[in-house]
Parts: sequence; structure tokens; C-alpha cells
Amino acid sequence: MLVVMSREADVSAFPEEPGASASTPQDLLERVATGDQAAFSELYDQLAPRVFGLVKRLLRDHSQSEEVTQEIFLEIWQTATRFDSNRGAAVSWILTMAHRRTVDRVRASQSSRDRDVRIGIRDHNPDYDHVSETIEVRLEHERVEKAMSRLTELQRQAVSLAYYGGYSHSEVATMLKVPVGTVKTRLRDGMIRLRDEMGVAS
Amino acid sequence: MSDRNDDLAAQSGAYALNALSPEEREAFEKHLASSSETRTETTELSDTAVALGMAIDPVSPPPALKANLMAMIAQTPQLPREVDAQPLADEAPGVDVAAAPIAPVTPLGASVSLADEVSTEQSRSAQSASAAVPSRAETKAQARWFTRPATALAAVAAAVALIVTGGVVADSIGRASLDQTSFASQQADQLAAINAASDSQRLVSTVAGGATATFVWSAELASSVVIVDGLEALSADQVYELWYIDESGARPAGLMDAAEDGPTWRVLDGDMAVGDVIGVTIEPKGGSDAPTTDPIVVFETA
Repeated sequence: MLVVMSREADVSAFPEEPGASASTPQDLLERVATGDQAAFSELYDQLAPRVFGLVKRLLRDHSQSEEVTQEIFLEIWQTATRFDSNRGAAVSWILTMAHRRTVDRVRASQSSRDRDVRIGIRDHNPDYDHVSETIEVRLEHERVEKAMSRLTELQRQAVSLAYYGGYSHSEVATMLKVPVGTVKTRLRDGMIRLRDEMGVAS
Repeated sequence: MSDRNDDLAAQSGAYALNALSPEEREAFEKHLASSSETRTETTELSDTAVALGMAIDPVSPPPALKANLMAMIAQTPQLPREVDAQPLADEAPGVDVAAAPIAPVTPLGASVSLADEVSTEQSRSAQSASAAVPSRAETKAQARWFTRPATALAAVAAAVALIVTGGVVADSIGRASLDQTSFASQQADQLAAINAASDSQRLVSTVAGGATATFVWSAELASSVVIVDGLEALSADQVYELWYIDESGARPAGLMDAAEDGPTWRVLDGDMAVGDVIGVTIEPKGGSDAPTTDPIVVFETA
């Protein structure tokens, strides 16, 4: 069910499964923008496990994750008309929006979050040990893990807490007991390092 | 000012990770519109964040989620394309939202009035959103960063959450099937296709007991769906059965149970032909080969 997806923005690097004639998310999203419901259905089949996996990673709660995933896809439907492939790949557009919507939801349930911050850092790294179903996902794991290992400890913790935990920079600062300004700098340094290690360029 | 901008530029990482507060996010996006350097870096860091997301194990959502979504998009209009967007030589002519294949609002029962409000609210928000965009540069940054439409959609998302928790279709389909996943998904696809068909038509009728039943069909697709709002639950040894009725008699068109919450719907098995009469009866569990009771509702498509 899961289709091999591009790792980053460059859609020309989009690897297709051998012999598969499946449309790319890019094609599908452009068709969705014309009101094509069949294209939406196919786009959902390709990307829903990615989106749901991401949402669930941050929110953990199953039913909330379903709700947010549904909101995300409805937003994709409504705003596909605003997608412009000149400004980035469809998968990036969707996952970026999915992360933001999920973080919005995480922040909305702030009370439980305050407790987390007080308790301290939970494990917010991706489940590197988990043996993935597909080679593609495992390659992504390895790629990210390798790049992450090049960061300083503080950079790595800050980036992981922000991305995989959905914590704001001030929450990250509280948890890591460093000033907010330092966290902002570490997030930027860390992300630039990751970008360079993973060869992400726009 | 340059100190201020340096400070803002330093937030690119936090922005890409969605770690800024809403106020900071907004200030940063204003800065994005004015600095191409920051814009490039932010784009790259944002794509780097996507790579972090790609390292997360995919998890398949439950099939009912897709079924819900397909039912929702069938009655949810899309935002108009931005007139102010960067012109492209090969750009397709702007799609008029009214011309997009959106079916007349299909009454998915309780969610209908809500959905209507949502559409109205959304088009209003969309208008005010486009009116509020001050410059092309900002529009460009907005388009990449996607915030403005999202803000406009906040109300929609909130309303949708209500619909979602209603569980529009989750319980009404699939129970009779061995393969719930593909059945629910097929049903949802067909529901969407019927609603999207250019020739789709509908009939509304009242069911004995007060429920409202709607029949939507497309002759081109030879496909149709029955949607009932407020369908009474039956005892465990009974089931609703759908029928195509013509001169030669009644042909079974599928079974359905009343949804626990929200409207019940079922895409009919087999091909539907114009002129067919569609009926729903109450049958013993497992269904019958021919109706054993009088129909609770009948639609005449001729």
C-alpha cells in the first residue's frame, strides 16, 4: 500500500517502484486541485500512513490522532488549489502542514503538556530500533540517525524534542534547562547541520 | 533594525520545527516575505524537517477514516485559486469553484446543517483572507508557507471535528463483509464517485417512522447510494436490505445496519439502471433472496 516516496523536495528524484504506474503525489495533488475526488482517494492511500504515523508519534492518543489526520486531509482537499509545485514537492507540502496541524493540537491540550514538561524529557527520538516493514523507511531511519549522530548533544535533544515531541522552544528550554535564546540558536545550527548531512537543498 | 532582522533570521530552525509561538511565527513570516536569504534557508530547513518525518514508521489509519473523508470532500468546496499567484506560462486556466465537480450538498443527515454553515463560513473567510493579502511578495511567501488559508480554515477544522466524532459511516458499512478494509474503502470511493458524477441526481423521501432517506445516483456510472438520517436500529436478528425492483421482480442490492451515530449509507451492489425502483425492507439477519416485508421506503428513478 505504501508507495516509495521522495526524501525531499526534488520531485525529479522521485523513485518509482519498478513496473509501477502509480501516479506521484505531485500529479495527484495537482488533479485534486481541479476537484478530482478519485485523485484524492489515491493520494490518501499513498500518504495517509505517513501522515497518521507522524500525527500519532506526536499526539500518541489514537482517537485524537484520527481526528487530526482527518482534518489534515480535509485541509489538503480544500487548499490543494493553493499548492504550487514550483515552490516544493507535494510530499513536503503535506508533511509540513501535517506537522504544523499536529503541533497546534498538541499545544491546544496544554494542561497535560505542562505535566510532561515538569516530569521532564520523555523519549522523543524516533524508534530507531524498530524493524520497519519497508526498506525505504529503514533507509530513512538510517539516514536520519546518521545525520543526527553528527549533532552536538544539545542540538540533537532540542531538535528531537521540537520535531518528535511537538514542544515549543520555550518548553524545550525549560526541559533542557538552557535559555530560550540558546535553544533557538541550537535549533537553527542543528537543522543546518542535518540539512548538510542529508544533502537537502531546495 | 538589522539586529532585529538578525534575531528573526536566527529563528529559521525553530520555525521549520514549528517550535515558535503563534506571535513569533507571524513575525517570522513577515520577515520571510522581505528576505529572500531567510526564505531560501527556511525552505531548506523545512524540507529537512520533512526528512525527519519520513523516518517515522508509517501507520495505516482505520478504514473508516477514509470513508468519512470521502463522504466529506464530496460536499466540501475547495478554496478558489489565488488570483495573485505568480503567473506561469503553462498555467491551466483558474478553476472556478462553482465549476468544480462538487455535488449538490448531499444530506449526510445530522451533519448537513453544520456542513452548510461550514461552507458559508469558509467562503466568507476565504474572501476576507484574500482581501487581507497586501502584496505579491507576501502572497508568494504565504503560498509556500501556507498559513493564510489555514487560518481561514480554523473554523472549518473545528466544525469538522464535530462531524468526525459523529462517526458518519464507520458503523453503517462493512459489517457484512469479510474484508472490512477494502469494502469500506470501495464504498467510500463509490460514494465519492457518485456524488462527483456530472449526471448525479437525487431523490428525497421519508421513511416510515420519520427518518429522511436520500437516494443519489449516476446513470453514467450505473451506481447509486441510499443515505438515511435517523434510521432506527433493528434487533440483532434483523437487517435492512436494499432492492432493485423492476417488472421481473426484486433483485437484492445489499444489506445495511443502522449507524449507531450519524447517518446510515450504503452504495448499492450491482448495476443500477434508470427506471429501476429502489426499495428498502427489513429482513431476517443475513438477508433474503426476495423481500419478505413491505418496503419502508421506495424511490422511483424513472
